[in-house]
Amino acid sequence: MTAIAQNTAPPRWWHSRAVRRFRNHKLAMIGVVMIVTLTLACIFGPYLLPYDSLHIDLRARFSPPLTGNYYLGTDPLGRDIAARLLMAGRISLMVGFFAMVLSTLIGTIIGVIAGYRGGWLGAGLMRLVDAFLSFPSIFLLLALAALLKPSPVMITIIIAVTSWMEVARIVEAEVRSLREREFVQAGRMLGLSGAHIMFREILPNAMGPIIVAATLTVARAILLEAYVSFLGYGIQPPLPSWGNMLNGAQQYLASAPWLAIIPGITITIAVTSFNFIGDGLRDALDVRSDPV
Amino acid sequence: MTDKTKKATDFTRRNALTMMAMTGAAGMLAPNLLGKPAHGQTPPAAPTGRVIVGLSQEPTVLNPLMVKIEVDDGVHFSLFDALFRVTPEGEIVPNLATEVPSQANGGISEDGLEWRIKLRDDVRWHDGAPFTAEDVKFTLDLILNPDFRSWRTIGHSLLRDITVVSPTEITWRMETAFAPYLSFLTETFIVPKHAFDGVEDPNSAPFNSNPIGTGAFKFGQRVAGDIITLQANPDYFGDGPYIEQLVFKYIPDLTVMYTQFRSGDIDLIGRQYITPDNYAEASALPGRTVTLVPSPAVETIYLNQEKPQFKELAVREALYAAIDKESIIDALYYGLPTSAETFMPRSSYFYNDALPVHEFNLEHARQLLDDAGWLPGPDGIRQKDGVRLAFTNSTTSGNHLREQAQQFIQQTFREIGVEMTISNLPAAVIWGEFWAMSQFDSVIVGITFLIGADPDVTNRFHSGAISAQGGRGSNNSQYVNTDVDALLEEGSRTFDPEARREIYLKVQEHVRHDLPFLPLFADSNVHGRKEGLDGVVPNGNTRTESWHAAGWYWT
Amino acid sequence: MLGFLLNRLWQSAVLLVIVSIIGFVVLNLIPGGPLSQFALDPGMTQADIDRIAAQMGLDRPIVVQYFDWAWKLLQGDWGHSFRDGAPVLDVIWRHLFATLLLMGSSTVIAIALGTWIGIRGATHRYSTFDYVATVGAMVALSIPTFWFGLVGIYVFALKLGWVPAGNMYTIGDQSVLNYLHHLILPSFVLALVNIAIWSRYMRSATLDVINQDFVNTARAKGVTERRVLMKHVVGNALLPMITLAGMQLPSILSGALVTETVFTWPGMGRLFLDSLGYSDYPVVMGLLMFSAILVLAGNLIADIVVAVVDPRIRLG
Repeated sequence: MTAIAQNTAPPRWWHSRAVRRFRNHKLAMIGVVMIVTLTLACIFGPYLLPYDSLHIDLRARFSPPLTGNYYLGTDPLGRDIAARLLMAGRISLMVGFFAMVLSTLIGTIIGVIAGYRGGWLGAGLMRLVDAFLSFPSIFLLLALAALLKPSPVMITIIIAVTSWMEVARIVEAEVRSLREREFVQAGRMLGLSGAHIMFREILPNAMGPIIVAATLTVARAILLEAYVSFLGYGIQPPLPSWGNMLNGAQQYLASAPWLAIIPGITITIAVTSFNFIGDGLRDALDVRSDPV
Repeated sequence: MTDKTKKATDFTRRNALTMMAMTGAAGMLAPNLLGKPAHGQTPPAAPTGRVIVGLSQEPTVLNPLMVKIEVDDGVHFSLFDALFRVTPEGEIVPNLATEVPSQANGGISEDGLEWRIKLRDDVRWHDGAPFTAEDVKFTLDLILNPDFRSWRTIGHSLLRDITVVSPTEITWRMETAFAPYLSFLTETFIVPKHAFDGVEDPNSAPFNSNPIGTGAFKFGQRVAGDIITLQANPDYFGDGPYIEQLVFKYIPDLTVMYTQFRSGDIDLIGRQYITPDNYAEASALPGRTVTLVPSPAVETIYLNQEKPQFKELAVREALYAAIDKESIIDALYYGLPTSAETFMPRSSYFYNDALPVHEFNLEHARQLLDDAGWLPGPDGIRQKDGVRLAFTNSTTSGNHLREQAQQFIQQTFREIGVEMTISNLPAAVIWGEFWAMSQFDSVIVGITFLIGADPDVTNRFHSGAISAQGGRGSNNSQYVNTDVDALLEEGSRTFDPEARREIYLKVQEHVRHDLPFLPLFADSNVHGRKEGLDGVVPNGNTRTESWHAAGWYWT
Repeated sequence: MLGFLLNRLWQSAVLLVIVSIIGFVVLNLIPGGPLSQFALDPGMTQADIDRIAAQMGLDRPIVVQYFDWAWKLLQGDWGHSFRDGAPVLDVIWRHLFATLLLMGSSTVIAIALGTWIGIRGATHRYSTFDYVATVGAMVALSIPTFWFGLVGIYVFALKLGWVPAGNMYTIGDQSVLNYLHHLILPSFVLALVNIAIWSRYMRSATLDVINQDFVNTARAKGVTERRVLMKHVVGNALLPMITLAGMQLPSILSGALVTETVFTWPGMGRLFLDSLGYSDYPVVMGLLMFSAILVLAGNLIADIVVAVVDPRIRLG
């Protein structure tokens, strides 16, 4: 089988070149550095800060940034925003990452099946994709969040369920175009099973677009979590997330603007980084340009 | 009340005046009491000017008998009249009736079953037709029409043999004696019979979108999602109105509503009023009158008595002792509410001021739990007989102050070895079966227990009112105390205010002792209006600030 | 063409059915319901609430409720709001104007700025402007819209006092100027993402056209650079943009909903959140169907327009 793959599949020369191109992509490297920094800060930062993210001190409520040891100020309960921001980062980044894994998985499976099988099954699956796409995603997301008890795991699942369609479309198109290529025909003639051909032969060749889409999905998932939690339908207090730190911030916009500004900037940095990386990967992996 | 910072104590005085809470002052005419300007200024001779009231929820129905929410009341009070009204002092006074029936004046028979109501003969509907007893009968019948989507039916469902004696007199019999009914009638607005002539389905009658009342204001127009405009009724039988136009403006966000109050876009800020965090700033605004008005709602933590964690009194007492009420009130709520020990509003004639006072004491809380055998397990959480002292606490998501209090309470509970997990839900979800069928562990909720000024709380505390156990009521904490049951039954049959007072003082004692809910505080609302808008009197016995717009006027 | 149209219409109808089933099932699985809002009324008993539920037909099996709803919808009856009893279509109609106003003005801003930035970026490729625009577009795509709105309110409404903090107009002043004044901030906030998207598309579209023969020919003929750009480049680049506009409809709609929540804009997003909070199923379902129809129609129209404008594209 390996022999077939080597003989008939396009050579994987892009491996090394892709890495080199990615390394030369300035924005992508900035993104990688920022994400790594942010992740490390979220993992180790909370141990270095003087206050626990859940520690309430009503006497210190609404302290502006740089008050004593409250480097980023405190929230309405007098909790340290710096500590909460980093703990929230753990939640938000995890939600973003796992929502990406899950939605990519769903999208890939549906896309491969639809693209390879075609026929009424493929058409049916793609109609399902269209149906999901014709909801403004916020609608479905909020309805689902109201339905299910919002825990980090649930939010991850809900976000994944509402954002797998792009990947499915990309994969379907990719697989459909690969289906008639000679290495697939060869596999078929050798009597390989449908599942084997779909996932072992075709899928690796569609990896480029999938990786790019997946990276962008992380960015999207972080934004969605933020919005849902901002509205109070998402991650529940006292567990912090970047989104729920913004919940209620509008009320204090005049008196304590840092409540809104700090988490927002953090979200923007994280999301921008993932978008930079996605852009770099697109160039490096030579995925057809699709600037959104 | 022209003093911005002064608390609006005018109507909270609990003096001898309120003795007449239920049946006093018979024969007084409504306009004398209701239309009288509260201050030395005199209202204009002809209605002048316009008042814009901001509301953070949109009024839903214009038909006052259809199922409705609190915010609808402001519109209904302005468009319609009831047989009686309740004053800020809790006194029931005539409105469309000429006197308040009592056993003393013969309006209610000695056994409390036969009622006789005399009506005014000088009232006309907004379309010119005269108001008669037929309209009252029609209204009561409509409420009980099984096909009509009517609002409350308790009390009304006891009515039998409603008889029109003459255009100005109506009688009925009640299935059982039910003293609170008088209070219910203050919120039962009378609708015109002739507006439903030939209407097949009262749920979709033209009246429902173009209401005709007897009130001080006529219906103008409704721009749904935005405003409801009412026009002065120059032929109003009572005093007033003194303003030409009354506008209810829906502003779906409390922060924006406050901003519009500050900028002067609205003249009077209605439900849900000014948020506590803006109280200090609002009080200092030039040209605005801002007052603190005690609300009949009591902020409570409901404990589901059927959950194994809460069955023991010691646990409930320990939890109560572990709540730092003072910090919650002072820091989180800016000192606006007052600590509460009972469900009865402080301003009520029936308020029990001799109840034990809460004390925040973590040591005492730990001691109570230790003594009761709830001992810390390996994870630091107390347990007894395999039950962990852990539970969830829910409230409506989006209520930021309450969510802060919730997290604060969570912390002090943790200090005595109790694990409280927060699980907040959207309003439509939490107040569904989750609440009604007592599926919760604990819930933070602000509850108005009374209907009007009547002290009856059968619906909340009688063991027959537990929906989860097949009952028909809202005893959502599943509270069972046979003494309380007996007291409540006696109370609803008793018409004499003093006798009733004794009964409900005892009910409060029991409830305070048993703690089916942990009372946190009696809420206060921050009302605000433009200076120069006079005659505005808050009324804690109604659910709206606009209960008497007929008396408002610009100076 | 006709066959293509019929086929597309048939597919759209199937989609609508799927959308409605998903929506209906999800909504009805949510515990609680529209009558929860009465639960705290001191005089309402569970018996009252059960009675009203029966009167409203809420106690029937979900399948029956669905077919009842769908059958009425086919006859043009979208049902009545559980909150104020108003016909759903009226309710949506009232809020549609606000949303369309917001979407429209922000789209105008997005197209104007996006086109300019995109073309300039393409004609000045690899310049500082191009680089800043590229990075800026990506950052713009990464900013949470609702948060950008908050910052906008903080800076322009609270600190500078240039614009109002929310709402569509001031009560008692319904002049056009007043609307515009309220419109500025939310439009720009909503436009941010779309400026980014449009400018990126415009840039690549312009690059595709800019070096083609006919453009060079025109240039050689002495047509001014500006005219070349306007006539040939923009003309040709606009084609894919039409498709894009159709495709972007759901995301603009989503964005509008988000923006509305921050600016208390009385549009469909606000309505959706309110209705969801009350479990006002008829209105929520109405909005779902309405937006789905809007999106499908947008896609269809985009396809048709492209086909009409560019005969090279064969339909079917």
